[in-house]
Amino acid sequence: MDYDVNEQFQPVTMGRPQAGAEQRGATQTIETYVCPRSLDEAADLLRAGNVTILAGGTDLMPQSKTGRAQFQPVLMNIRCIRELGGISENNGVVRFGALTTMTELLDSSLVRTRFQALWQACDRFASDQLRNAATLGGNICNASPAGDTLVPLLVFNARVVLASKADGPLTTRSMPLAEFLTGPGRTNRLPSELLAAIEVPLPPVGFVSEFYKFGTRPALDIAAISIGLGAVCEQDRLRDVRVAFGAVAPTPIRAAKTEAALDGKPLAVALAAALAAADAEIHPISDLRATEWYRRELVRNILSRMLNNVG
Amino acid sequence: MSASVDIEFKLNGVGMRATVPARMSALEMLRDMLGLTGTKYGCGEGECGACTISVDGLSINSCLMCAADCDGREVMTIEGLASDARAEMLKKSFVAYGAVQCGFCTPGFVMQAHHLLGKSPHPDDDQIRRGIEGNLCRCTGYKKIIEAIAEAGATPS
Amino acid sequence: MRAMDKVSDGSLIGKRIPKKDAPEKAGGKTRYVHDINLPGQLHAKILRSAHVHAKIKSVDTSAARALPGVHTVITAADIPWQRPIGVAKDHLPLKRDVVRSPRDEIAAVAAETEAIAQAALELIRVDYEPLPIVASAQDAMKPGAPLLHGEDLVVPGADGKPEVVHKASLDNTAMTFTYAQGDCREGEAESDAVVEDVFRLHYVTHCCMGVSGVIAEFDASENLTLYSNTQVPFLHKREFADLLGMDPGRIRIIQPPIGGGFGSKLDIYPFEPIAIYLAKFTQRPVKLVFTREEEFVASPTRQPVLLKLRSGCTKNGVLTFRYVETVHDNGAYTSWGATTPFVMMQTISSLYRVPNCDYRTRAVYSNNPYAGSFRGYGNLQATFAVEAHMDKLAEAIGMDPLEFRLKNAHDQGEITPQGMHFNSCGFKDCLRVAAERSEYQRKHRDCRSKWDDGNPVKRGVGIASMLHVGGGAKIYPSDGCGTILKMDDFAHVTLLTGASEIGQGSETVLAQLVCEELGLPLSAVSVVNNDTDITPWDVGAHASRTTFIAGNSALGAARKAKDKILAAAAGKFAQPAEALDLRKCFVVEKNGGKKLIELGKLIRSLHFSDKAELVMTTFYYEPPSKHQDREFRGDVSAAYAWATQVAEVEVDTQTGIVRLLKVTGAHDVGRVLNRLGIEGQIEGGVVMGQGYALTENLLVENGVVRNPNFRDYKLVTAPEIPEMDVSFIETMDGEGPQGAKGVGEAPAICVAAAVGNAIYNATGVRITALPFTPENVYRALHSNAQPPIWIAAA
Repeated sequence: MDYDVNEQFQPVTMGRPQAGAEQRGATQTIETYVCPRSLDEAADLLRAGNVTILAGGTDLMPQSKTGRAQFQPVLMNIRCIRELGGISENNGVVRFGALTTMTELLDSSLVRTRFQALWQACDRFASDQLRNAATLGGNICNASPAGDTLVPLLVFNARVVLASKADGPLTTRSMPLAEFLTGPGRTNRLPSELLAAIEVPLPPVGFVSEFYKFGTRPALDIAAISIGLGAVCEQDRLRDVRVAFGAVAPTPIRAAKTEAALDGKPLAVALAAALAAADAEIHPISDLRATEWYRRELVRNILSRMLNNVG
Repeated sequence: MSASVDIEFKLNGVGMRATVPARMSALEMLRDMLGLTGTKYGCGEGECGACTISVDGLSINSCLMCAADCDGREVMTIEGLASDARAEMLKKSFVAYGAVQCGFCTPGFVMQAHHLLGKSPHPDDDQIRRGIEGNLCRCTGYKKIIEAIAEAGATPS
Repeated sequence: MRAMDKVSDGSLIGKRIPKKDAPEKAGGKTRYVHDINLPGQLHAKILRSAHVHAKIKSVDTSAARALPGVHTVITAADIPWQRPIGVAKDHLPLKRDVVRSPRDEIAAVAAETEAIAQAALELIRVDYEPLPIVASAQDAMKPGAPLLHGEDLVVPGADGKPEVVHKASLDNTAMTFTYAQGDCREGEAESDAVVEDVFRLHYVTHCCMGVSGVIAEFDASENLTLYSNTQVPFLHKREFADLLGMDPGRIRIIQPPIGGGFGSKLDIYPFEPIAIYLAKFTQRPVKLVFTREEEFVASPTRQPVLLKLRSGCTKNGVLTFRYVETVHDNGAYTSWGATTPFVMMQTISSLYRVPNCDYRTRAVYSNNPYAGSFRGYGNLQATFAVEAHMDKLAEAIGMDPLEFRLKNAHDQGEITPQGMHFNSCGFKDCLRVAAERSEYQRKHRDCRSKWDDGNPVKRGVGIASMLHVGGGAKIYPSDGCGTILKMDDFAHVTLLTGASEIGQGSETVLAQLVCEELGLPLSAVSVVNNDTDITPWDVGAHASRTTFIAGNSALGAARKAKDKILAAAAGKFAQPAEALDLRKCFVVEKNGGKKLIELGKLIRSLHFSDKAELVMTTFYYEPPSKHQDREFRGDVSAAYAWATQVAEVEVDTQTGIVRLLKVTGAHDVGRVLNRLGIEGQIEGGVVMGQGYALTENLLVENGVVRNPNFRDYKLVTAPEIPEMDVSFIETMDGEGPQGAKGVGEAPAICVAAAVGNAIYNATGVRITALPFTPENVYRALHSNAQPPIWIAAA
């Protein structure tokens, strides 16, 4: 499987024309800048086409400089869309508006107490300055194989809610996050759609979770590997086990076989099988951050450590 | 034709109007258009914090912010911190504790520390280090910067 | 929190003096070169090579020239009188027929805005004929390897006739050095323990927070003003004169405050002459500023080294010999990196007492980035190897590693075979103090005993020392510095010094020295140090020389002023001048301190009298050091400095992550002048050393820098710094200003060596290649990672 965790971070060529730049139009001209105030207005604009969405700018701005992302003729700033903010709970499902920033997630006691792995991922995210601007929706739509929030969201069975007016009135559809992420930097979002919210069911009582991101720094690192783990702990075993990996596949993934190896079985017995399953389920590559071999070693060692520490 | 956007915003407490190219970053607007050179270009990709400004009370890397996104917001730069008592104390600490050598990273650190102290007026060592993890310095080794911020935090406001 | 020392009534020496320009910097008011904009200025951009190694068949700039807003586009063809730059003069700013690296400059644009200049670059068409890439020194030394400088470099001479400025290298050798003392074969024969290793030291780069930039402007009379961040303004003034065929007197270099130096600005790099060419062509000021990516790709690096060391000692722990061979990847053109052997030689021959030493080195051309000078200048690399072997030899003979080092450490008064006079030497005190404060011996034994305890997280301590010049380095015809001092009618002093301030605080320490001498408060001194039209000559900010040499120069001028003032006061008060002193802005009686007259008043009485005299003095200080002879022998510095550092690490053997927990350092600095400033230098140097050891790695593959950004080139951040405990050993050097010696480079030099020894103490695994990144460490611990292999010489 051929993908590059760093695909979005190719260096600029300092004046040398990018391959294919002439076909794309070497100067990325923005013809219109819009700042809608409602989802309805935004969906109308999206339906008209050729729109680049600007939220926090923390991925778009550097990527547009390197040519990784191209500005379309219309630049739509979604920051003022009322419906996209806020964290609310309804019937056991927590709704995060797409514009929720990492800092807002960190400041939320709900996130800290019920979605520990997500809180930890936000704590390991970049830097304070970036956390103040980066949005959950942006992190999801950027769909990096190493995306920090994506791993815990997979653990928590998050669903994305997409809004559009492609067929006339404003409608929404939702799908599991795992289905939404299709490849490095690629999602199932249609050009006419806007990611409006992320819905996450509250995990069962007694569910604990942890997020691990490999790095020498507390944050400000792109993960070489990351692991999300969640379960209900019983005496010697785990139930309702969720395991997710980042930076070892074209998208962050849930590791179903690893979960099956662990669920309901005494941990001491299940550990070896779980590690073997994990090794089979991941497809790490070698790039400038780490080699395939090392990524596998890390997954094995860290997963083992996390499982031994849990409960 | 490349789009220009008319924006109106508060800059260091003063109402401003500007017309900015849609692609321009807030950093470019501040330095090249408005002549406020205290905010620095360090990397242009949000990794070094030299361009840190305050927007609606949050510290932000201005290189990652679209200039047009300043519309309707309150922006503060290092030049605007001049009139803030907490900032004065912070700057005095930086000077007294030797937290400044070449000084290029200093405005970014002062802006970020100012924000940090606003959120946590008396941060402990770990909070300070995590709070400035997005600011790079090549000269000081950070130790005196951390001490200066701790001192400013220890001083009763 | 430590209470700040008040600048008390007594001496300023040793006190915590805030940097004079810090308030301005903290307020964002300082204008670096990036912040300076001259009326009518144009913005310049450089077109760099799309290939690692290629012939340039043609360059078509017509479309670029036609772009509205573009004033000029130049290539080498437009500058037929171009002359070479750099240490070996093998480097033309605009490349003529061949490009040898991705940083190579092919064309340059001056335009109304940066955006237009950038757009113009994209319209330049270059036709290349790719050539095979020489991706390593090893490849360059293979028989039949492509020659990177296989032809003489010929340019028009001063008289118009062709001049060979660089002779062809027919085997890709750029430079070689050899040094020998004693007889290594005898030394080896006397040895009871011999160890040999190959060490590989990697590419790192300066990462100054302010990127490179320059502004060039010709006035109506064709005089050139350059706003440059050079660390050697007077040397560059002269070099630019040669480059441009100009009278050096018509070149003025103004040094705006610098966003970091660390040695990156000691050579002329193409972007400065290119900006000057553009200014000449357009007759407008031209400003050229790098992007950060460009900074990574086009700035010089630290010198990567492949080093083979064979060393020995007797069973009683006496060092017998060191045999060293190195290969330096010279990159595509020669800059200061090729001369790092000068400095490496000193460590190999004289860090600890070694009677026999044989050192040979070869710098080899390749298509890789070229190395410049970088804080420590080869000493980090040499110390890494030497100190690894100090541990290995101690272990081989069963001796305590600290005792082994103390046994071979120099004492004051010793003269080394290379001819260095250790007039002040605190080496043993450095070793003892660092070891004691870090509990080195106890922890070393303790950690060693835990190798097999089953805990995956291990701790270790490692010790390493360094020797570096501390009183300048006489490598240029003069190692001196000039000062002009004037005192106004209100006893305010203006100190005009040739010494460059590069963020290290030189202006503050010079003011401190002068104030101490003249009994003035720091507010009474202004320092002017940034304009070659105004300040006297200084060779530059390098070799940790500024405090020592500029300090002595300032003191010389201040003492002359003091003599003049006290002579005048003596006459006025009918007392011998020796009985008088200057304290707290007054002329006083030395004994008892009775105030005689306010200094300002005395000055005014001197000025507004029949004598009509002003207090204006000058002093040029040339240190009493010697040039090295052809065998590299000579007392090249007026003083030498030592430091010992103990590094404590934690190694997670399941991930390879090494955390640097603590660095305990003891530095022989002669005397602490500005305590705040010197601590800042040490702390900053330690963290720079930490980056070199653990986190920084410029990945160069097939001539291309793969990580030209901060995302993937990891500088140390605040949460990662170690606890730092710093002690100062004050040996009161007789020649140094108030006894002080240079310290700028020292703290960076032995961190990696200490960390390497600490990792061994923690894990039992000796890693001889840097950096100690997690994967590198993990591989060394768990897989069959190969240690570096020596290259067989061609």
